[in-house]
Amino acid sequence: MRRLAVSTAGGLAAALALTGCSGSDGSGSGPGPGKAELTVGSSYMPQPVSADMAAGFLTITNNGGTGDELTSVTSDAAGQVTMHSTMGGAMTEKPSFSIPAHGRLVFKSGGNHLMFEKLKRAPKQGQTVAVKLTFAKSGPLTVEMPVKSATYNPSTGH
Amino acid sequence: MRKKTFAAAALLAAATLTLSACGNGDDGTSPVTVASGGSGSNQVATVLDQPFTKPDLVLTDTHGKKYDLRKETKGHPTLVYFGYTHCPDICPATMSNIAVAKKALPKAEQNDLRVVFVTTDPGRDTPAELGTWLKGIDPAFIGLTGDFARIQAGARSVGISVEPTTKDKNGKLVSVHGTQVIAFSPKTDAGYVLFGESATVDDYTKDLPAIVKGAKP
Repeated sequence: MRRLAVSTAGGLAAALALTGCSGSDGSGSGPGPGKAELTVGSSYMPQPVSADMAAGFLTITNNGGTGDELTSVTSDAAGQVTMHSTMGGAMTEKPSFSIPAHGRLVFKSGGNHLMFEKLKRAPKQGQTVAVKLTFAKSGPLTVEMPVKSATYNPSTGH
Repeated sequence: MRKKTFAAAALLAAATLTLSACGNGDDGTSPVTVASGGSGSNQVATVLDQPFTKPDLVLTDTHGKKYDLRKETKGHPTLVYFGYTHCPDICPATMSNIAVAKKALPKAEQNDLRVVFVTTDPGRDTPAELGTWLKGIDPAFIGLTGDFARIQAGARSVGISVEPTTKDKNGKLVSVHGTQVIAFSPKTDAGYVLFGESATVDDYTKDLPAIVKGAKP
């Protein structure tokens, strides 16, 4: 029973990967205006152990027919915010991340993440951290990122 | 507990590789969906057919004292994790998940359980640094640091790969390490359950009562 569920999850992952490929190569298969339409959702920061370092997660959805690029992330709460991808356990800092047309850019635990360093103070659960996202083409977006528990799991919501 | 087959894990690994291949386009980005594991049910706990012998690690604890892993944890249920304190995501999440799940155990079993965090970045993780960091998670957790080659050999003996800390092109120090937690039985002292990085508080809460008794979760 459980085994079956796992296999299905594997198949799904592969399917999603394929979607990712076709979406990323280009300028969008569908019609749609020549503009990215970006929205940000599912943002949160797990309460960090100290003010040295915190992670942040969010999803940027592009409903437009043109891709865009996340080029920088800043926050008044942190001296520095950098963007990282994680592959096979290796974390790599990236100068930018692309957001495909009709696609999504996902930062989630275990995968891509935002790294907040030199925090003015350790953010506590229940607070929010203002985060400004800057893009290559679209105007900047600001999100109030809620600070959740250190063990917060977005799929269960607690 | 949710027992997994290695076949399933291999399948998932294959899917992940596919993703990596996609993400490595010339623009160097990894777009779209990193397969969301639904309720985190991807790689939770695996009972090993061939349990691992506890690594023969003699290192330094957060008080600066010599700590012999085999001797100190003998007869105690023990969870071992290899990671580093400048790790933003998985390391604090994993240790925090265990800390929260531990609180659901009866007090005597909480005291019996040993949770050992072995640094993969001993250059930065001094006993004091480790101590401060772990205190923010659970003051009873044990932090170990010492010679990197020894730590790497210990990790390798339980199937966990650990690489020396390297400087990335922006000058940031990064440590690459396997993210599994190994549970050692109080009865046999063997490492018999492996938790993947997607294990949640709920998964540990469900499985720890069996593990503290050396039973299969």
